[in-house]
Amino acid sequence: MSGGEAHVENSIWMRAVLIGGVFLAIGILAFATMGVGVANVKHHDYEEAILEYEDAKYAYEDAKASNASDAEIATLKEAKEEAHHHEVEAHLSYLTWRTAGITILLMCITYAAFIGLGGFLNSIAPSGDDAHDNHGYGGDDHEHHGSGSPIIFALGIMLFLMGFPSFQSVLGNMLSGTDFALGDLGVSMLGLVVITAGVANWWREDLPFIGNGEQIATSAPFEGQHIRKAGLWVFIMSEVMVFATFFSSYLRMRTEWCTDWQVQAGNCAEVNMLTASDFLRPNGGTLDGLGGQGDFMTLLPGAINTFALIISSYTIVLALKTANSKDWTAPTGMMGKIMPDQKTAVRNYLIATFLLGSMFIVLKLIEWSHLVAEGFTIGTQAGSIFYISTGAHGLHVFIGLLVMLYLIFKADTVGYDEKNGQGIEYFGLYWHFVDLAWVVIFPAFYLY
Amino acid sequence: MGEHKTSGIFESIFDGLGGRDIYFWNFIILMVFTLFEVAAVFFETIPGTDIEITLYAVWAILIGVGIVKGYGIAAYFMHLKGDPRIYTRTALFPVLFVLLMLWGIGLSNPGAVQNLPDWCTPNWDFAVER
Repeated sequence: MSGGEAHVENSIWMRAVLIGGVFLAIGILAFATMGVGVANVKHHDYEEAILEYEDAKYAYEDAKASNASDAEIATLKEAKEEAHHHEVEAHLSYLTWRTAGITILLMCITYAAFIGLGGFLNSIAPSGDDAHDNHGYGGDDHEHHGSGSPIIFALGIMLFLMGFPSFQSVLGNMLSGTDFALGDLGVSMLGLVVITAGVANWWREDLPFIGNGEQIATSAPFEGQHIRKAGLWVFIMSEVMVFATFFSSYLRMRTEWCTDWQVQAGNCAEVNMLTASDFLRPNGGTLDGLGGQGDFMTLLPGAINTFALIISSYTIVLALKTANSKDWTAPTGMMGKIMPDQKTAVRNYLIATFLLGSMFIVLKLIEWSHLVAEGFTIGTQAGSIFYISTGAHGLHVFIGLLVMLYLIFKADTVGYDEKNGQGIEYFGLYWHFVDLAWVVIFPAFYLY
Repeated sequence: MGEHKTSGIFESIFDGLGGRDIYFWNFIILMVFTLFEVAAVFFETIPGTDIEITLYAVWAILIGVGIVKGYGIAAYFMHLKGDPRIYTRTALFPVLFVLLMLWGIGLSNPGAVQNLPDWCTPNWDFAVER
């Protein structure tokens, strides 16, 4: 490090490209083992379970048609129900591995594209004093001159959303094997390119930042405060409004439905709507043969995710605390091997947060696949608000993970300390907000 | 977020307890309350007893635990408690809108905002006649 900024060679960005390659390899490996290998074995089990169920069903129907004894019919009925239960279990087991494999592959492709492309663009960007001047943060003797990256990023988002209807339609046609015009992807793909360029430029500006030249607000109400922090809080408040909209819509619909809770509370006679919790919690309501199958295992992914988010909130606090520590000492024993020095410790706490967040997404999609298989689809009012709300939350987690990729990269290269730890602090605020939103979503959608 | 020391009853009890800081204990409390939340839904009776956990008790537990967890995250992890007041005010700014949405939309079934009391709705008749 020299002067007011860290000296960053362009070649350092090649490390990001390599990390992208590692992600790609992990994704392919996970897909090959979980999504193909194990999933195929599970699919074979599922097919056998279907045949067993068919046999049990025919045996039961034959016994009824041939006027067999009541005892025999009862035994065959029990065997049929057991075979059906086994078939459902086998199906869900197959879905678990298949969804996990595909999800990890797609996540890793996105991670690889994000950090790999960002790294590649920065590695080929012109270096030297001219490029240096374009950094968002000046040194001690430089006046801060802001950054154009957020505007570029926002323009990219706008283009992507403008083309999103065609993008979604083309993707749907591609997946279902029907005709599509590749040109319809144009606007959204241009948006993605602009987003990538904006993000790459943003990283390029931030990477050398070692704590000098942080912009301070000079007028009320945030006078004396870091502008980035104030801006982030305002952003979080806009996010509060977004989630409040989902929640009030849910509440509005929920008070209209006659759910199992309402029936048990004596407010109405029979169930006319199943909520996600009827499929997930024990003793949930039933309607037209659906729901009411919840047990410990169905509630487990949501519960694990809740704990994962809380633990990840704590690991990001530990990352910041370690970065800010002036008298940090390496722990002893096993932890000492994982965190031999302060820089590595910060990076590893961030990696732990990243892994917990990634696990959250994988478990969420496994849970969704189970819910859809059990008949809780987006086609119902309850399904619509559930998938939109939990999906919006999952999207926030995933965006956080993409940002965290850069934090890990910086922690591994330039490093974080008490001077530039704000990067972790501000990201942490966003991450805690995501945790806070889950505090409302989990009981409202999973338990109630 | 983990920058400044804060003071209060919670801090006086937990900060430094067992050689651990306030963030560690906040984390433990959040974990315990989450376990409590899940258990309240999972068990029909209090384990080891015949005392039934009623729907209303579960409802109260979910809301109570949500408030405690929300406070723990916002006050300590997001450090609203140690930061200048302007951040708390910023955080509370949308509360009015959130309450309006929850009350005006969420809890006003079936009429939503159209069935709000007269004193808080415009004089529609006057508007139509005019």
